[in-house]
Amino acid sequence: MTNFLKQNRPLIIGSLAAVAAMAWALSQYEPKVAASILLSGLTLGALYFLVTSGLSLIFGLMDVLNFAHGLLFMVGAYMGYTLYANPRILLNTLPLLLALAGGAILARRAAPMLPKIPGGQAARWGLWALAVALLLLGSWGFDLAPLASTGISAGGDVPTAEAQEALGLFVGRLLALAASGIAGGLALALGQPFAGRSRGPRGLVLGAGLLALALLIAPARTLGEGAILGLSSNLRFLIALVVGAGSGAALGGLIEWSLIRPLYSRPIYQVLVTLGLVLVGTELVKGVWGPTGYYMDTPDFFSQRGEACPSPNLVAWLGDHCASIDVLGRPFPSYRIFIIALGLIMFAAIAVLLRRSRLGMIIRAGVQDAEMVQALGINVRRVFTMVFALGAGLAALGGVAAAPFIGVNPGIGQEFQLQAFIAVVIGGMGSYGGAAAGALLVGLARAFGDQIVLSGIQLPFMAEAVKFSPSIARASTVLIMALVLLIRPTGLFGKKD
Amino acid sequence: MIRKIPPAGWAGAALVAGLCLFPFAMALITGQPVGEGAPKFWQGMLIQVFILAVYAMSYDLLMGYTGILSFGHALFFGTGSYVLGMMLKHAGWPLWQAALMIVVVAVAQSLIVGVLSLRVSGVYLTMVTLAFAQMFFILAEATDFREWTGAEDGLQGIPIPSWISPTDQRLRFYFVALGFALVMYLLARRVVSSPTGAVMVAIRENEPRARMLGYNTFVYKLIAITISGVMAALAGGMNAIWNLNANTAMLGVGTTINALLMTIIGGAGSLVGPMLGAGVLQLLGYWLNAAFGPRWPLIFGVVYILIVLFFPYGLVGTWRLRGAGLLALWRRRLGEARQQV
Repeated sequence: MTNFLKQNRPLIIGSLAAVAAMAWALSQYEPKVAASILLSGLTLGALYFLVTSGLSLIFGLMDVLNFAHGLLFMVGAYMGYTLYANPRILLNTLPLLLALAGGAILARRAAPMLPKIPGGQAARWGLWALAVALLLLGSWGFDLAPLASTGISAGGDVPTAEAQEALGLFVGRLLALAASGIAGGLALALGQPFAGRSRGPRGLVLGAGLLALALLIAPARTLGEGAILGLSSNLRFLIALVVGAGSGAALGGLIEWSLIRPLYSRPIYQVLVTLGLVLVGTELVKGVWGPTGYYMDTPDFFSQRGEACPSPNLVAWLGDHCASIDVLGRPFPSYRIFIIALGLIMFAAIAVLLRRSRLGMIIRAGVQDAEMVQALGINVRRVFTMVFALGAGLAALGGVAAAPFIGVNPGIGQEFQLQAFIAVVIGGMGSYGGAAAGALLVGLARAFGDQIVLSGIQLPFMAEAVKFSPSIARASTVLIMALVLLIRPTGLFGKKD
Repeated sequence: MIRKIPPAGWAGAALVAGLCLFPFAMALITGQPVGEGAPKFWQGMLIQVFILAVYAMSYDLLMGYTGILSFGHALFFGTGSYVLGMMLKHAGWPLWQAALMIVVVAVAQSLIVGVLSLRVSGVYLTMVTLAFAQMFFILAEATDFREWTGAEDGLQGIPIPSWISPTDQRLRFYFVALGFALVMYLLARRVVSSPTGAVMVAIRENEPRARMLGYNTFVYKLIAITISGVMAALAGGMNAIWNLNANTAMLGVGTTINALLMTIIGGAGSLVGPMLGAGVLQLLGYWLNAAFGPRWPLIFGVVYILIVLFFPYGLVGTWRLRGAGLLALWRRRLGEARQQV
């Protein structure tokens, strides 16, 4: 115990100082205001945690600083919003991606069983060229703008019948993309002739399944849109959470496999690639969904209004689902309680995963020494991809959860990434508890900042309260980071280097 | 004392001479006067290339020579723009005093940011520098300082002295910008070839060893950040003169990404590479914008990722690695062809 105290003296003093400062600051306000600041801080902290934890896990395990993490957050938000409010974009693009991926997986796994393709290197480049040509052919003239249009966009709503392409053309695209995937998969297989020979039929089944799914969705697009929009908003929101997180995880896995993995021998270039991804991804998102933002409705579960509202307490809220809950005489939006709960659940779930599961054991060992884990016969590369996907999925989940709270726009990725970076620097890279603590601290600081923006700050020697804009509150977290850097450069929970 | 001038030196001198003649050559080819139409447009294009070249070169002093990967370089570029704008517009200072002020502010700023961010290294430093740059970006957008910075509209209508006005005296400004780029290049080369520059390279290659040899690496890194910051700020000031404004985008992440793009495309670890990269970025950007409209950064991002993946040494680096071999191959083919004739 005394040993622990000695080793962590700065940390303990720092935490005590932070708690004391917070208690003092809270005591300056009425209890109801203080409570709502605390709850707002927890809400923001929960969202920051979802971004920070993945960032920290990925860095801890594979030393990759993922600058595209904010992008994944944003993609999650957009995918969730799309499924919730305008699913026809998904229904018209998902089959195309499925066909491409299905074709590629099928060809990659089937290649070892096929007779050897003659021609060597030339055949490989020829196949790549064929794949690119078919990809261009399959996506030529595909217009997303009418599909993305909604009631509030400039041209008004375009009816689905006009917005989506006729079945014949769409299936033609599917076939072209599937062929492109097959050519690409064969080219990949030619590049790595010995890898993946004895994986059995699992890959084949997966590839064929994806292709079949794409062909199944194609004729059912209109039907699917009606079915999804016909669901209750709560169920739709639940599906949106799953779809958003899932697509974020899939994208994260794809990024690791295609762009990060070839660069493990050149760590600096990994960072450079992820920064390039931000550029590409942001432009793609603007291209698909337009440069302006969207507002996502809160599901019915959190948005009932009426005489009984706001609900007097959490238990009563379970019965009436009011939009806000009374906290010491001040209404607090119930949706934010959901965000806090989600953050806590994910915190506990990841902690259990890390502490109690085999995968978690491998991850923790990998953080210590990835090479040693590899030497023990564990496929560390696959664990890398899984952890990258996991972190990306967490960020995307945060994005969906944030969508009804702050809306969806092409700038949210960058904003959350900045705050997540600050949280990571404060908490210490590669430490799970540090990520949580940093996120919480940044969230609370932002909540205080927002309150001060509302009420101004009363300095003892000035007659009037000093007022400033929300921008100052956003920038102030950087100052906390600077302070932590001065006192403890490795962060509150970081390892000493 | 007469030194033998290397072939690269002759090539450089020829390039500068060519750039000096360029406006007149354009005027001859197009048949339009030097101060109007296409010649004027292309002078403007090159002026932007010169400014960006200095900015990219300053970034490479950090990234390519010292091995410090900063993601906050826009901070200096943007601050230079804003300082120049505020000094001319609000304080009514003459241009040379404003330029001096840029240097003073940039030194102070890079010392503060350097002392704080150099407490960490590697990817931590990228995050910390990014955070500092974002802080200034947010502050520039803040409505509290609207009188001074113009908030999200930027600082518009900077009163530029008429003798250097980029619209009326384009040709003169062209030569000023060319001279600026040349002076900055010579300065940077002086730094790189000095003993200090050698220590910077040593830090890039192996910092613990440099420290073991007795060099205070922290001080050298701080020097690198300061020199690079001042150069970037001066380039930012030039940019403010050229645009007649200073806006928040100059402080944004996009500006830092531009520095990276130019350095990576041209080749990190050489002074000429990033300058070349600036030319490629500017001209390619112009054509891509004409061909693809406002979504052209998408194409650029893809090109950037491909370069990072497949040509990590950039144009100049790849040429240095492969150039000799290619030249030899070309000569041999030429010889074979001659024999066959």
